[in-house]
Amino acid sequence: MTSQMEVLDVTKAYSDSEKDLPALHGITFDINRGEFVCIVGPSGCGKSTLLKIIAGLERPTSGQVRFEGRPLTYPHEKISMVFQTFALFPWRTILANVEYGLEMQEYPRDQRRETALECLEMVGLSGCESMYPKQLSGGMKQRVGIARALAVNPDVILMDEAFSAIDEFTAETLREEVAEIHVETNKTFLLVTHNLPEAIELADKIVVLSARPGRIKNILDVELERPRDKACSDFVQIHKDIFHLLKEELESSIVKHKIKCIHEFQRLHDMEGR
Amino acid sequence: MQIKNSFATLLQRNNSHKGIASFGSMLWTIPLISFMIAWELVARIGIFPANRLPAFTTVLATMCKCLMIQDFTLRVLRSFMNLSIGILSALFLALPLSLIAGLRSRIDLTLTPIIMLIGALPDLAILPLMVMWFGPGNTAAIMMAAICAFFPIYFTVREGTKAIPRDYFHVATVFKSGRFSTIAKVILPSVFPNMVTGLRLSFDFVWEIILAIEIIASVTGIGTFIDSSVSAGSVEYAFAGILSVGMIAVAVDRLVFRTLENRIARWRE
Repeated sequence: MTSQMEVLDVTKAYSDSEKDLPALHGITFDINRGEFVCIVGPSGCGKSTLLKIIAGLERPTSGQVRFEGRPLTYPHEKISMVFQTFALFPWRTILANVEYGLEMQEYPRDQRRETALECLEMVGLSGCESMYPKQLSGGMKQRVGIARALAVNPDVILMDEAFSAIDEFTAETLREEVAEIHVETNKTFLLVTHNLPEAIELADKIVVLSARPGRIKNILDVELERPRDKACSDFVQIHKDIFHLLKEELESSIVKHKIKCIHEFQRLHDMEGR
Repeated sequence: MQIKNSFATLLQRNNSHKGIASFGSMLWTIPLISFMIAWELVARIGIFPANRLPAFTTVLATMCKCLMIQDFTLRVLRSFMNLSIGILSALFLALPLSLIAGLRSRIDLTLTPIIMLIGALPDLAILPLMVMWFGPGNTAAIMMAAICAFFPIYFTVREGTKAIPRDYFHVATVFKSGRFSTIAKVILPSVFPNMVTGLRLSFDFVWEIILAIEIIASVTGIGTFIDSSVSAGSVEYAFAGILSVGMIAVAVDRLVFRTLENRIARWRE
């Protein structure tokens, strides 16, 4: 099976970052069509940067992302995105927000409306189309965000911490619905998260990144049956394994930081001695 | 039962609140009417001579008379036109500049200090220069209005542009918005509330400047009408002029800015 998307040796360095420590280093992995992939890692490991590169919002310093065999450098019409901050336009009604992507692709008005209403129904927001985002709760706003991403009929949906700004109870149902949408539509999902149970609940494949500079620590296939039970022993075992990986990672970075501090202290001490 | 009862009292309380609110919305008329009566009394009793302070009713009557005089209405219109053209040209200039400054920090760092510096100059001090360069006519008044309106618009829109969440631009890019459409459908709607605030600020402020340039440089308009009425000793005409300027300002504020702000309030968080 050829993969739908290939991330090849992607490195990202910011010229102004402290001591030119790259944000990402040599990231390589494949995503298959219809797969649900989660990227997890400690905070600041560049996982959101990786998603932005795949979305075409940022360019990698080196390496490339290939989509259906071609290099991907600009935002692609078959790739859409859901944002942590929801990023709905407050001056647009819910319907107009969902229509936005279609409007940019210059679909006729009737078709836009029809598709948007379908997508709103899919996320359970029928009847809200003439409301404004400020009238909705966080969970409902994210449903609109998901509907907007679905409306352009993408092959790949990128989600940047899509459930992190929502209260846990709402997030739980929303995750279940996203899992359903994934099964129904067979689209590829790529979710960046720092929430391990979330990743294990949703993912076919989990990419674990190391602390900055983000490298691939491990790629795990999750072959649990769906819907997944968080109390099941395999679920717990996978959680333990990844947690162990990340803990190791965090500790080593803390130790590194401490050693740096000790060196600095030593240097100051020497200078004082002179 | 108890719950029902407390619910009923809650409803009642709500109703009584409503009563206060509808009564409260009319409270402002009390000081206004008392002020008019006090004015009328003070003038009628003759604490001030009538050629200094005409009675309120006299002023109202004069105003009605004035509205019939073509010269008066033309002057008011002219002042209002100068003001509007000035503010609109300021908007035309300030909008693109403030958007660029708000979006590109390097341009902001280059441009904004000099704009701040010019904005800090007292406007009335520039006035004689404008009259000298453009002559005591409409051009000088429009230029003056434009200069004064520029700064509030520039700074409010620049702030608004800076406050646009980065994710709005990400949404635009991900959904393949072109440059022009990003300006028209993301940036302009985002800064629209700031633009209204800036226009409102400059509108209040520019009225004074327009009247000042008219009086100081005798540019034909309602300002000169007020000034010459005072010199000619027909104070009731001056009062009529002042009152009509005030009424126009209030009317525009209600009809234009309130309407826009209500519309914005529908969606703004």
